[in-house]
Amino acid sequence: MHVIVATDGSKQSLAAAKHLKSFADPAKITELSVVAVIRPLASVAFADDVTEGADKWPTGSFREAAESAVDTIATVFDGWGPKVSRRIRSGSAANEIIKAAKQYDAGLVVVASGGRGLSDSVLVGSTAARVQHYAPCPVLVVRPAPRKPRKR
Amino acid sequence: MADRTATVHPDIDDDGGLKRSITGVQLFFYTLGDVLGSGIYVLIGLVAAAVGGAFWIAFAAGVTVAAITGAAYAELVTKYPQAAGSSLYVQKAFGNKALTFLVTVSFLSASFAASGSLAAGFASYFSELFNGGGPPALLVSLVFVAVLVLINYIGITESVVMNMLMTFIELSGLIIVMGIAIYYVAQGNADFGTLTDISVSGNPALAVLAGVALSFFAMTGFENTANVAEETIDPYRAFPRSLIGGMIVAGIVYVLVSMAAALTVPVDQLAESDVALLEVVKQGILPFSTDLMETIFTIIALVAITNTTLVTLVTQPRILYGMAREDVVPGVFAKVHATRRSPWVGLLFSGLVVGGLLVTGTLVTEAGGNLDLVNRLALVTVVFLLAIYALVIVTCLKLRGRDEDERAFRASTPLLVVGLIGNLAILYYAIYDDPSSLWWCAGLLAVGVVLYLAEQLLGSKSEPRPGTASRTPEGDH
Repeated sequence: MHVIVATDGSKQSLAAAKHLKSFADPAKITELSVVAVIRPLASVAFADDVTEGADKWPTGSFREAAESAVDTIATVFDGWGPKVSRRIRSGSAANEIIKAAKQYDAGLVVVASGGRGLSDSVLVGSTAARVQHYAPCPVLVVRPAPRKPRKR
Repeated sequence: MADRTATVHPDIDDDGGLKRSITGVQLFFYTLGDVLGSGIYVLIGLVAAAVGGAFWIAFAAGVTVAAITGAAYAELVTKYPQAAGSSLYVQKAFGNKALTFLVTVSFLSASFAASGSLAAGFASYFSELFNGGGPPALLVSLVFVAVLVLINYIGITESVVMNMLMTFIELSGLIIVMGIAIYYVAQGNADFGTLTDISVSGNPALAVLAGVALSFFAMTGFENTANVAEETIDPYRAFPRSLIGGMIVAGIVYVLVSMAAALTVPVDQLAESDVALLEVVKQGILPFSTDLMETIFTIIALVAITNTTLVTLVTQPRILYGMAREDVVPGVFAKVHATRRSPWVGLLFSGLVVGGLLVTGTLVTEAGGNLDLVNRLALVTVVFLLAIYALVIVTCLKLRGRDEDERAFRASTPLLVVGLIGNLAILYYAIYDDPSSLWWCAGLLAVGVVLYLAEQLLGSKSEPRPGTASRTPEGDH
């Protein structure tokens, strides 16, 4: 089974990756793709909040921010078993995750849904909701724990 | 460790998926949409007032200088395809932090002033939907800015398709204006003498120069295309073509539209109108219902202004984000919302500054100050941008011979020199003509300086403590 772990650079997406590792059987996973989507027309095309020390940003490159976030998520799965691919895509986040799922013939998509606040219950269009609706395969939405993010 | 498969084509990943997403055509429409919305709907009356019937000459001259500047940007973008734009180029060329800061803050200020001018222009057109009545202009423009900030926060701006659609709508409005003029000319009613008429007393060259300074606002916005440099497919080919091509098309449209307006509407009527392009429709030249056409055209104008204002409002938090990441302004501006991934502090702040400009302008007007808010903020934008454009051309020439890449676009040197002189001449005239705009410039620069001081006095030296990336003491709310 090909599993896609999506990251938007948020801490919650790191928690989602760790959550997958906490219960899934690596022997059943043939390949794991860590996918980040850069949003060219957004104010901040990609922000990396998962890599320690990434608060310096000398190059001003959103692509580098995405690469470092993907690297950080990929290291979660170091030595776990499945082959890990790192992929950066560009466009609208939900669309690109769904396209990636179709393209790689994925058996599972793992996304984070960070929202606890008002904004996610009131405003429609969150990435996780759209992926759930339109993905061609099962979707694991990892929501934040009530207090602290779940750790292994 | 994971493998990173080598690929044959740099823009296509190992499974045929696109790594980058902006095509040359999309970039062309992004440029066109950015440029077309800013100004022509808002400013054409002011330019007509400055020059007279021949005001298309001002647009032609402004467009030429801007397109040459666009060539310098195309060269720099293809050499350094990163999102940071002018600040990055100036830093590369001069390596002087103070200068880079000044350029960045000037750019930010220009963007604030542009948003303010556009929002005020939006209010003018909006009141036309109520036949000149409706809610107070200040309220309309403030709500407009607030809604755009919210849209930005949610992230609707990210749709490339939406962007193209809005550009088509913008174009359609200008095509309506041209269509009316063609119909008018075909009926044999047009007096072509108007097109050579410089009716303003005094030196005609100075009158045109005054018009150029204002019309220049209509060409601004192209520098925002650097925003998507990193995500453009094959930027070496796409950028020069789409950026300069988009500007030339916009320029041709502007010259034709200004001729159309001059032919169909008496120049003094254009000059007095806040919604000059609507006057063309109001003439009732076409054999359809003028009321309906007016409403349609007003809505088109509103869409056009909205599209351009959205891009400026996307750019401001991005600049603040970059500066916060480099510890130049407080770290709160580097915070992105956990779920929405938008820099909400920067967005909110930008909205407040633009709102502040609108309120200040309205207060000054009400206190009896002789002030046209659209005009004033447009000039402030132009003053900042002309200085930046001139510096970018110098930067482009200075960076020759460094980081050369055979794939990069190379602008013609004599043309760049002409562009530099053009930018400086317009800048000189804009300041000479209206020195009081410098007070507004100073006020906006002060905002940047205050942010800088706040970071210096209150900001932590941001040691990379684990888990507290981009968090400063005041950033914890």
